[in-house]
Amino acid sequence: MSTRPEPQPYMNPYLAGLGIGLMLLAAFVTMGRGLGGSSAFATAAGVTVATAAPDFAAGHAYFGEFVDAHPWSEWLVWEVMGVFLGGLLSGLLANRAHLTVEHGPRFTIAKRLALAFIGGTIMAIGAKLASGCTSGQALTGGSLLNAGSWAFMMSMFAAAYGVAWFLRKQWV
Amino acid sequence: MNAPLYKFGLFGDHVGLLIGFLIGVGFGFFLERAGFGSGNKLARQFYFKDMAVLKVMFSAIVTAMLGVFWLSRVGFMDLSQVYLVPTHLGPQIAGGLMLGAGFVIGGYCPGTSVVAAATGRIDAWIYMVGMFAGMLAVGFFMPGLGDFMASGDLGQTTLSSSWNIPYGLLVAGVVLMAFGAFLAAEWGEVKSGGRTREEQSLLWHRGYSRPRLFVGGAVLLGVGAAAAGTPYRGAELRTSAAELTRIVSREADHIAPRALAERLVEGTQVPRIVDLQLPEEYAAFHLPGAENIPMTDLPAATFTASEPVLLYAADEAQAAQAWVLLKSRGYPAVYTLGGGLAAWKSDVLSPQLPATPVGEALEQARARAALARHFGGQPRGFVDAAAPAVPTPAAVSTLAPGATNAPAAAPKKAKKKEGC
Repeated sequence: MSTRPEPQPYMNPYLAGLGIGLMLLAAFVTMGRGLGGSSAFATAAGVTVATAAPDFAAGHAYFGEFVDAHPWSEWLVWEVMGVFLGGLLSGLLANRAHLTVEHGPRFTIAKRLALAFIGGTIMAIGAKLASGCTSGQALTGGSLLNAGSWAFMMSMFAAAYGVAWFLRKQWV
Repeated sequence: MNAPLYKFGLFGDHVGLLIGFLIGVGFGFFLERAGFGSGNKLARQFYFKDMAVLKVMFSAIVTAMLGVFWLSRVGFMDLSQVYLVPTHLGPQIAGGLMLGAGFVIGGYCPGTSVVAAATGRIDAWIYMVGMFAGMLAVGFFMPGLGDFMASGDLGQTTLSSSWNIPYGLLVAGVVLMAFGAFLAAEWGEVKSGGRTREEQSLLWHRGYSRPRLFVGGAVLLGVGAAAAGTPYRGAELRTSAAELTRIVSREADHIAPRALAERLVEGTQVPRIVDLQLPEEYAAFHLPGAENIPMTDLPAATFTASEPVLLYAADEAQAAQAWVLLKSRGYPAVYTLGGGLAAWKSDVLSPQLPATPVGEALEQARARAALARHFGGQPRGFVDAAAPAVPTPAAVSTLAPGATNAPAAAPKKAKKKEGC
């Protein structure tokens, strides 16, 4: 087996931000809406329940709305599928796409995967509470000067720095 | 041209989905380019080692914010048509705290996890499974959070309107804040030993560079925004006062009740019908197919520019105010119901007809009587001896489903969620 080619250096962060900003602007100009990330997961979970247990879902206050849902007509579902493809393209072009687990040098893979699961669960609940995530609230709402989005963004950074010390072993 | 293009009817749902996919490809591409497919790189933000999250995020926010501001300011875009997620301070602060903690615990945010999964990060796949589980948990417990979810409700609002600071001034403030944050981030990275001076593109770089051009340009456009006035349309009327006067005097903005009734029966050229009454008045009586948007909700309502809109209220004056509002927002095809609901009742539902018409007048009277009965009304003064028996209400509803004035079963447009 040949050795993997060296991954290319990352793009300059300001210019990558400019690129993301232009995509966001394109969404505003064409659709009148912003980007999203978490909503596709909410749709996936809701539709799964509604498909697996339609009778239960039909009478349920939350899952009821997914009974007649059309996930393939959801804008954010398509957008997130595009994100997957775009990420894959960029990763392949820069030799960064390969199977691995991201963790700091002092942390085991098993613990890292457990925390990834827990983090994902917390994020899903948080994103649902806030009606949006880093994409839908911070980026989208931030650039529209949405009042709630800025409150969201400030709390997000505050909490991340607040807990970082306790999780330093996972990362640095 | 008018943006947002979709909301002004330039293309339909399917093209919209394709555009969403393509924009997603670009979004995912640049996220990966920035290094956001790597949990290690993302997390270093929170140890001041690598402030890429802050640099990328604020570069993107500044770009989109300036783009929206200036495109709206020059009249290309109607900012009021861009969807704003309503503000609920309580759940948004709580959700923000959870996302911040979850970011450092899980290593990703929802969007970046997709990119990381695409590039083979197994922890990102596990993170996504966790997201899925969390969404299930939300489904089971969320209905119990009703009160909390509604707390701190400020509606759709910007910092500009809630603090009463001019929009352009805030834009300038955000750009300058981001600029300061960039410089502080570069300084912090060097201080923490995360990155070297040579790796920085603003503070220690010598001469021209593309990042410097971008940041410098953004600062200029941002400062300019402070002096540029409001990005919103409708502060001044889009059409001239003379043009409005001409439309009003020709009554070209009216649709007569009878003409509307005929279109409804034929099912052709039926505009979107908006009832401006209060919900209880709407419940008591409304036109078939009308949706209820009370006057107070009208400024927040969105319409498709290509779709004609007919406004009505109990009297004509109120509808006329709403008409001016929508016209000033640039909608080309806005109409009012001539004479308001009163005219609908006197002209369509219970028209005064001649008692014993002959010839052509008899045909007309018959047609109008049929029209009245179609909508559940009854003509006055005219008894048609030769006509077949008056159809029963049941027969009317089978003939014309949905063409009754029944308060229930108003066609509700499924409100699509546009948030994240």
